[in-house]
Amino acid sequence: MAEENTNNELTYKEVNVDVVNTMTKTGLGYYVLLGCAVSGFLGFWIVPWIIQIYYGQGITGLNTPNFWGIYLTNFVFWIGISHSGTLLSAILFITKTPWRRSIYRSAEAMTFFSVLTAAIFIFVHMGRPWNFYWTMPYPNTRQLWLNFQSPLMFDVFAISAYMTSSVIFLYFGSIPDLAAVRDRVTGWRKEVYTVLALGWRGTDSEWHWLYKAYTFFAVFIIPLAVSVHSIVSWDFALSKVPGLSKTIFAPYFVVGAIYSGSAGIVTLMLAFRKALKLEKYITLLHFDKLCLLLLVMSLLWSYINVVEVFTGWYANTSAENETLIFRMLTKPYAYMYWLMILTNTVMPLLFIYKGFRRNIYIALIVSVGINVGMWIERYLILTTSLPRKFLPYMWHEYIPSLAEISVTLGSFCFFTMLFLLFIKLWPSVSIYEVKEDIGIPFSSNKRK
Amino acid sequence: MDRTVIGLFQYVDNMLDAAHRLKNAGYKITMFSPVPIGHEIEESLGERPNYIKWFALAGCLAGTGFGVLLTLGTAAMYVLPRGGRPLFSVTPTLLMAYETTILFGVILTLLGFLLFTRLPSWKTKPYVEAVNIDSFGLMVDNIGKNKRAEVEGIMKEFGATEVVNKLD
Repeated sequence: MAEENTNNELTYKEVNVDVVNTMTKTGLGYYVLLGCAVSGFLGFWIVPWIIQIYYGQGITGLNTPNFWGIYLTNFVFWIGISHSGTLLSAILFITKTPWRRSIYRSAEAMTFFSVLTAAIFIFVHMGRPWNFYWTMPYPNTRQLWLNFQSPLMFDVFAISAYMTSSVIFLYFGSIPDLAAVRDRVTGWRKEVYTVLALGWRGTDSEWHWLYKAYTFFAVFIIPLAVSVHSIVSWDFALSKVPGLSKTIFAPYFVVGAIYSGSAGIVTLMLAFRKALKLEKYITLLHFDKLCLLLLVMSLLWSYINVVEVFTGWYANTSAENETLIFRMLTKPYAYMYWLMILTNTVMPLLFIYKGFRRNIYIALIVSVGINVGMWIERYLILTTSLPRKFLPYMWHEYIPSLAEISVTLGSFCFFTMLFLLFIKLWPSVSIYEVKEDIGIPFSSNKRK
Repeated sequence: MDRTVIGLFQYVDNMLDAAHRLKNAGYKITMFSPVPIGHEIEESLGERPNYIKWFALAGCLAGTGFGVLLTLGTAAMYVLPRGGRPLFSVTPTLLMAYETTILFGVILTLLGFLLFTRLPSWKTKPYVEAVNIDSFGLMVDNIGKNKRAEVEGIMKEFGATEVVNKLD
């Protein structure tokens, strides 16, 4: 088990100093990057969105029969990215896995920011976003309530519940660390963290109830996360469209979400550890374990893809055959499909070899590749099904407009901006859990 | 005037031994630590109750009720015929109830935590910052002046590196 203990050469005091320093010591590079992210968010996302709201959905590539395009691709992609942070953190907490401790806080933040990004895409996709409150249950003069038999309504509740629970999980687990920050900072920071820490003092009673409640949160989060992406898959699978109406979609989406989310964590951790000089906390062991997880998820995801193709082939209906041929063998979709297979099925096989799992450059290339592939997967699901329904006279190719491409780029800037703000405003590594990893000091000179 | 004494310890077992002695002597003790030591405390001073589970259960039951009522109640109050399909459909009701069960469970668990820890509380309370860094703290409060020396003595006997006095 010696290998499992990742931080045993650190001291308690060092952990407090190092983590608070990540928040208080800021270089020029940070401001430049933040400035780029904010500009990208405003320029690539907000400006085209305002233009779209002003001129209407006509400036997008959405038209009959392609009512769902790149915006919903992004929605599913970002919801997928959100799936590993909180879910992985909860599973690793329950299984008492030590290597979770250095990485879970920022992974949970990743969950919140990506759910937020995904949720905003619903508004971008709406023609009239100011009518969003129609999705909320409230008595109204129209005498019309929500139709709970629509999977879109399941989505509203599932995503709201997931976002609320993820925020509670993130904040709740941070309370002792916010108190540690409160004790080390001065000025406006002191006042802010005094409020955020809620008056935490680290008494035996506070720790006792924190641990009990945290365990319940972890238990609640796991089935919730699984349900959220299952429900997202039913937005598509409960339709009668060839290429969408598949019973395997729920597990396919959940596996895909965990896969892309885990790849997102690897990419983010590599950048995060380098930028904040956290090599002592986020070690090669973390990447070894995460890449092993990617390998397992890759095999599962590939298996489901094979099953999807074979069941369609076995059904041998003209609609199924047409969808498969269109997706796998027709340009330009075939290029995307086989690129996806390369990045998501072939490249992760490198992780069979331990040396590659501990090579940060290989991990970076493969993890970015996986998320490129996972974005393509969602794009293909939408753009090769709705434009190719049963009757050929309905067939129509979907081409995303410049506004849609711009908003897509803007979403990455938005996510980056939120994460950059997070690392300066929140203890991004769990102070008390890293200390647990170091060990509890006993007078017999042993750490337990 | 009553006083509060906080002893700081470098090692957790020293603090637990001192806590054991002071508890047996009839003092009301509070322990501070920079890491969760629930397991060590329970080994030394006995198991503690877990009432949070009842909050979680109550939240889940309330959430299930809310989800079922919302879905079926909506269908009953605002009838929306859909080509002969049932007005009260089982699948969406279960799905909605599933989501609200978890959501309410999370919210009530949080409320339970806040209730038992009495947080948030921004009033000034006896506290030493070192217990959030690398020391273990043992606090005895409401002790008269004549008992202070005894408490301090016990703490030092068990290896307290520092004893801090605070007025209540």
